[in-house]
Amino acid sequence: MFKKITYTFIVSFLAINSLAQNNSGEIHGDFDLNMQSYQEDEIIGAKAADEIILNNAYLNINYTKGDFAAGLRYESYLNALMDFDDNYKGNGIPFRYAAYTIDGLEVTVGNYYEQVGSGLIFRSYENKGLGADNAMDGIRLKYSPLKGLYLKSFIGKSRTYFTYAEGIIRGADGEININEALNIESKTRIIVGQGLVSRFQADNNPKFKLPQNVAAYSTRLNIINGGWNYSGEYAIKLNDPISGAAPEGKNWANGNALMSSLTYSKRGFGIVAEMHRVDHMQFRSDRAPEKQYIINYIPTLTKQHTYSLLALYPSATQTEGEFGAQIDVFYKIKKGSLLGGKYGTKMIFNFSRINALNGGNSFLNDDKEHNPMFISIEGEELYYKDINLEIYKKINKKIRVTGVIAKQSYNKDVLEKPGNYGIVESTIAIADISYKIKKGHTVRIELQELLADGGEGSWSMGLAEYTISPHWFFAVQDMYNWGNHDVNKQLHYVNVNCGFLKGANRIAIGYGKKRAGIFCVGGVCKEVPSSNGFSLAISSSF
Amino acid sequence: MKNIITLFSFILIITSCDVVEGPYEIDTGNVIPTDTNTYVKKILIEDFTGHTCQNCPSAARELEAIHDLYGDQIIGMALHVSKTFARPYPSSQAPNYQYDFRTKWGKEWDDLFGISGIGLPGGMINRIGYPNEHRLGKDEWLARVISELEKEVDFGISITTNMTENEAVITINTEILNNINGDYNLVVCLSESNIINWQKDGAEDVEDYEHNHALRSLLSDENLSTSSNYTNADNIEQTISVNLNTLEQFNINYSQNTAELGNGNAGGWNVSNMSVIAYIYDNTNQEILQVEEAHLNN
Repeated sequence: MFKKITYTFIVSFLAINSLAQNNSGEIHGDFDLNMQSYQEDEIIGAKAADEIILNNAYLNINYTKGDFAAGLRYESYLNALMDFDDNYKGNGIPFRYAAYTIDGLEVTVGNYYEQVGSGLIFRSYENKGLGADNAMDGIRLKYSPLKGLYLKSFIGKSRTYFTYAEGIIRGADGEININEALNIESKTRIIVGQGLVSRFQADNNPKFKLPQNVAAYSTRLNIINGGWNYSGEYAIKLNDPISGAAPEGKNWANGNALMSSLTYSKRGFGIVAEMHRVDHMQFRSDRAPEKQYIINYIPTLTKQHTYSLLALYPSATQTEGEFGAQIDVFYKIKKGSLLGGKYGTKMIFNFSRINALNGGNSFLNDDKEHNPMFISIEGEELYYKDINLEIYKKINKKIRVTGVIAKQSYNKDVLEKPGNYGIVESTIAIADISYKIKKGHTVRIELQELLADGGEGSWSMGLAEYTISPHWFFAVQDMYNWGNHDVNKQLHYVNVNCGFLKGANRIAIGYGKKRAGIFCVGGVCKEVPSSNGFSLAISSSF
Repeated sequence: MKNIITLFSFILIITSCDVVEGPYEIDTGNVIPTDTNTYVKKILIEDFTGHTCQNCPSAARELEAIHDLYGDQIIGMALHVSKTFARPYPSSQAPNYQYDFRTKWGKEWDDLFGISGIGLPGGMINRIGYPNEHRLGKDEWLARVISELEKEVDFGISITTNMTENEAVITINTEILNNINGDYNLVVCLSESNIINWQKDGAEDVEDYEHNHALRSLLSDENLSTSSNYTNADNIEQTISVNLNTLEQFNINYSQNTAELGNGNAGGWNVSNMSVIAYIYDNTNQEILQVEEAHLNN
């Protein structure tokens, strides 16, 4: 069935394509290839691949002509890179769509990505780095019947690898921009939205009563006034127990999530204060808890770090229950002042703290009912805490410096896997110095240090990068786990990379060792195994 | 315009929800009877597991719960696989996790079906869905069991055993129940239950966990018949003679010499807790069509 639909789409696409030769539509695309060799390295626990080389590749092709668009994505996993799920295997065209817009109505058939509000009740997206893709396959309509009123609705099934989960997902969302709708000219702008998503899955469980239609809905509000911006969303998911015959883990309680954010910004100063509370809010395309079925997204509250050692122990949203708050302050010390110097100095202070809900998440079955307190911080199990200060300074025309100092607390038992690891407390310092040797030639040095007793102990990291713009870059880095309590694991992880960029093409090759760890994007994380080998990455677009 | 609003409204209406009221558990009595014929459809649940896999006991409990629902129609097999979750701990950490439940055949099937590659616990229901949709999380097992139970039965298997000290003579009789054509194999295995040993269960290290249905040995995996035509009411008989000491020693040697980070601690078999599991699978798609289990020492 899947192949038949794909075939029909390809034929239609080619027909459109040939038509395009005469009617000057536009075709764009992008290609991405990641190849890696894997050799055994007993010391770091890296496995060799039977295939020696593993390869992931994708090609997106999009055709547009006026209000019509169609496209597809070819994916190839021969076989998938080791940090990808084995279920990605072989070649296929799992993504294809056609869409048109007429008189304000946008119709999409086939695959699409969609989000309701900030994603609390529904988010269909792809991130190749995470190996995540829950594209929808079905129908989507978007329409704006009145000025300031935006409606969308969709129905479809959610992708899991090269197939689709059993649940049928239906959704609708309405958003009103009050100012636009009522023609109000005001400094204050108000936007409200309401979303509703429901999953249908037949109940044939002989042992437990399960809802066949599971609904989740959310209300959101956004108020903007000058430099102030408030945004809040509250979502509820009705009873959604997992399937199966054993009573273990079955939970008929409703879930809910609240996120609230207040921002103030003016020239040279900004502050963001955020909180969220998440309670039993994982929403899936199937009555099973596996990650490939997740169809909602609770944005993580903590700062998403990019420096390696700052991101060594990352936070991931615990969708079944957490309470957290964060404050982020940006300040630029003016040029010409004592601390500002000639170019000014940028400072970003960030604090976040996440803890468990009181007594765990909401729970309801025949034997137990529990509703945690709405807000409880004192005495609750700490999941994650991060206090950090980043200073960015341009010293002169040639030298720029970024310095970061951070203190993190990481609950390894919750954020990685159950055990008796306790909280990993780490102190991290980073210096990032960029020096422009001459026009087009820049050298950048990163020095990072992480001091910790728990986890894998202390780390040092050094990186040197040489860029000859616009075509070349060379980089060498070493992560050294000198503080590991196991002397045999006090290892160096060296990586060497170089790349060539020309026009729309980018080619990078590298060699090195990667440590096993947790890799996160936007609070969605995956475990990455250790590896040792060469890599080749090619990306291109037209 | 009206049509479009109607369309939006329609989609809004169908976006409905059900709220289930307690009690949530349905009283199903003892066992749900599905068939009263001599030979009923039986189902093999292969539970890929490991003694240091903290979520694996919940899969074992799911298997037992499905067995409680459908009785002897459900036959379980626990295959301890992977270096990560099934290797014994180094002797310096004794007595914790010193036993090696792994077997040569568990590894071969794990490699073939790729279960531990996507994480444990994981399992298969009659290996349905191979090669792309056979790997199931424990909460997906029941739905597939239900659909499997509705299938027609083409084979009836009966097992008789005769034990003399450590010598076992096992006879498998397969009765053909329909005129069929295909390429089928008959597999005969040994499993053992009530093995008390260490198991991680969530964050707990349980010293006296009861391991059930653990695969011990593969005795035979051969063509059911030299012909691909099977006639209703025909009987095919296969007899296997095995020495349990030899089989046990094979696993000890495997753990000692072949298994990654093994220690040879794979013996201590208790014949009175052992079962023979025999199943027939389709060579073209690996689907298990019928399975039977009998105590070895009955």
